[in-house]
Amino acid sequence: MGGKLEVSIDKLPVKRLDHIEENGAERYPADLGYEEKRLSLIRKIDFAWAVEKDDKKKQKKSANESSTPWQWQGMVENLQLAHQELSVIIDLIKTVEANNAVAVVSSTRPKPSPHEQLSDLAVSAATKLQCFLQLSKYFKQSAKALEQQVSKEARFYGALIRLQQNWKVKRQRLATTAPSSDGFTIDLFDNSIYNPASVVRPLSISTLRIERNSAGMLSICLPPKSTRTLHFTFLGMQAGVTYGKSNKLKTEALREDKDEALGDDGSVKKIHSVLREVHQAIFDEQVFDLVNREAFNPSLGVSVTGIRENCLQLSLGHGTSVAISLELSAADDQSAEVLDSHDFGTENLCSDSVNEVKSAEGRCDSFDKEIPYHACYEVYLQQIFHEHVFLRTKSRDDSATARASGQPDKDGSNLLSHFCMSLAHRIFSTKVLAELEKVVSGVPYLQLMSHPAWHSRTSSWTLFMRVPASIPNSSRSNTQDFYHVKHNIPAFRTKVVVTDDSIKVEGEGAPNVIGLFKGGLEDTSSINRYDCDLAGLPVIILQQVASQIIQWLHEEAIKVGIKVTRDFLRLSFELEQGETLSLVAHVDLDDPVGCISWWLVVDDGFSEEPNLHSEESEYKRFLGYLSLDVLSSALMDLVSLCN
Amino acid sequence: MNRGGGALGSGGGPTAAATAAAAQKQKALLQRVETDIGNIVDNFNHLVNVSRVNDPPVRNSQEAFMMEMRASRMVQAADSLLKLVSELKQTAIFSGFASLNDHVEQRIAEFEQQVDKSDHLLSRIADEAAASLKELESHYYSSAQRANQPREP
Repeated sequence: MGGKLEVSIDKLPVKRLDHIEENGAERYPADLGYEEKRLSLIRKIDFAWAVEKDDKKKQKKSANESSTPWQWQGMVENLQLAHQELSVIIDLIKTVEANNAVAVVSSTRPKPSPHEQLSDLAVSAATKLQCFLQLSKYFKQSAKALEQQVSKEARFYGALIRLQQNWKVKRQRLATTAPSSDGFTIDLFDNSIYNPASVVRPLSISTLRIERNSAGMLSICLPPKSTRTLHFTFLGMQAGVTYGKSNKLKTEALREDKDEALGDDGSVKKIHSVLREVHQAIFDEQVFDLVNREAFNPSLGVSVTGIRENCLQLSLGHGTSVAISLELSAADDQSAEVLDSHDFGTENLCSDSVNEVKSAEGRCDSFDKEIPYHACYEVYLQQIFHEHVFLRTKSRDDSATARASGQPDKDGSNLLSHFCMSLAHRIFSTKVLAELEKVVSGVPYLQLMSHPAWHSRTSSWTLFMRVPASIPNSSRSNTQDFYHVKHNIPAFRTKVVVTDDSIKVEGEGAPNVIGLFKGGLEDTSSINRYDCDLAGLPVIILQQVASQIIQWLHEEAIKVGIKVTRDFLRLSFELEQGETLSLVAHVDLDDPVGCISWWLVVDDGFSEEPNLHSEESEYKRFLGYLSLDVLSSALMDLVSLCN
Repeated sequence: MNRGGGALGSGGGPTAAATAAAAQKQKALLQRVETDIGNIVDNFNHLVNVSRVNDPPVRNSQEAFMMEMRASRMVQAADSLLKLVSELKQTAIFSGFASLNDHVEQRIAEFEQQVDKSDHLLSRIADEAAASLKELESHYYSSAQRANQPREP
């Protein structure tokens, strides 16, 4: 109560004279009835404190609503209330009268004048009008609300229908769905590749809830940091990671736009792109799952060196290690740092192998040149799994043939080893190409032709040496090589074929030992095939080329009619007195000027085998790094000398 | 209707039952529509009747309340019609199998066409790259520049 004490003073219940009339009669105030006394006592109770509270609340409300109330507001409200009460009373009276239950006692009213009748009519018309105006306001509001609802629904269902044409939309009839979700979900999971009995790695993002946002438009509820993408890195190389970000960031820029800025089309497109990203993330996870399963089957070319929850490290042999990992998409703001820490993490996981890689490959620069672009291998990995596992499964379903459950595994069992061997082959063939280019750069008359094999584990090149045209009707034109027949160009070819990590060299013109033994002049050119390793490849090529030149010179000399003998890298002319003059080819890969040099050696039959590495002497003369034309004219000179 | 049901019934029990269920549902929906529209018309009629201005003012507040009540019932009926429409839309979305299948097949054909096109494009690019490589190599190796070039380490 506030602690205040208030005192009110009543008059004594003594009858006091009210007034005295002219005739002297005294008038006293009338006695109060019992009810009136009660009412007056009730009225004396001070409800001011409660009224004050209400007033304060009302003042707050009114302060929020309007600053200065209309001065007639109170009167209007009172009149309305009074009118309502009056109409209720009149209704009651009329109803009762109409039912003839009671004859209401009333004083006879005088007949109302037309003016009064008209004013009564006007009042009732005005009342009806008032009702109508209120009703119209109500109808307008409802119509507006219903229209908004209709348009919202139209937008929502329109977007849903457009989504349904590309994605699997499902409806849940559970009573526990939230009011904003309507129970629609989009199911992105493709379980056709799995056997019914196999255990599937659970994917939390495969079912996405469709919700209505505040504007009533359709939106997808995608938890953050839920999508992962496949990444492929070569261990020991940090720069490669940045390549993968640029493509993915473009699609993520759409997420930054607000819904209001885009129209309905724009928001549906945005949702399509989000769903597509999630679909891709699911596909990447499935591929990673399959890679994991295959990695632990013993197969050729694959050995697992490290494993973490979302990362698998494989060793391809020859000191190369790769990591296949699932990392968060670049969309999430914090994921950029996560990616970096992941890379350091993957390196730290297998630090021994990284050190091995670095020491085996030498400097990082040379390492980078030999390592192909990693993004191609991400795509390749995804492509081979897609083609051989996913599409094959679907075509198998379509053909509807009954197969044993064990058979589907066979088709896809060697994909990872095929992939790793392709990668190893690519790295190896890059090294082979480097060696071949080194050789070709050292021999000016040698050309390199690449033959793209369009097979991931085979590469081939041809080393092509065109020799100067000689006398027509030579035996060269009778060879079976159709290139010669077609173009009438004398040339020697050496083919280098790399399959996985084995090198095969196929060269024509290397002397067949048996043919030499028989002394036959024709059919000494043959095609020899032999295997070699990377270290020995350059020397073998150079020796092959040098021997082809020797053979060509031999044939040229025979055409002219001079008797010459041929050894592997030496062409010998017989002089008088049993001496021989030899043209000797010297092969040196590391020679800065040229790889094939020529020496002229005189052999009187008694001296030892000349050592071409020593200085010139009276028995041998260094001719230099001769071109084929010069060699041909040198041969003619030697021929005339011998004659 | 019966003949159709009989002909389908020979195909199997579930088909006939499904057809009967579908017919039943269609009836129920139509009935709901009729009820709602009848509601609206009915209430509007009463509203207009009540709006008559009587000579002595009789049943003022009663009429006022009646008018409000009729109006709100009309709005309620309209709302339930709207809900019916959204239910129909949902049913159309999830039951329009024929059109969905057609659309899906159309999309599959489009995508396969795109796959073929991409494959052709890729093989064309590969062929062009191989041809360009061959040409460039032959040009390079037979060029005078290469003949005079000192050997690179």
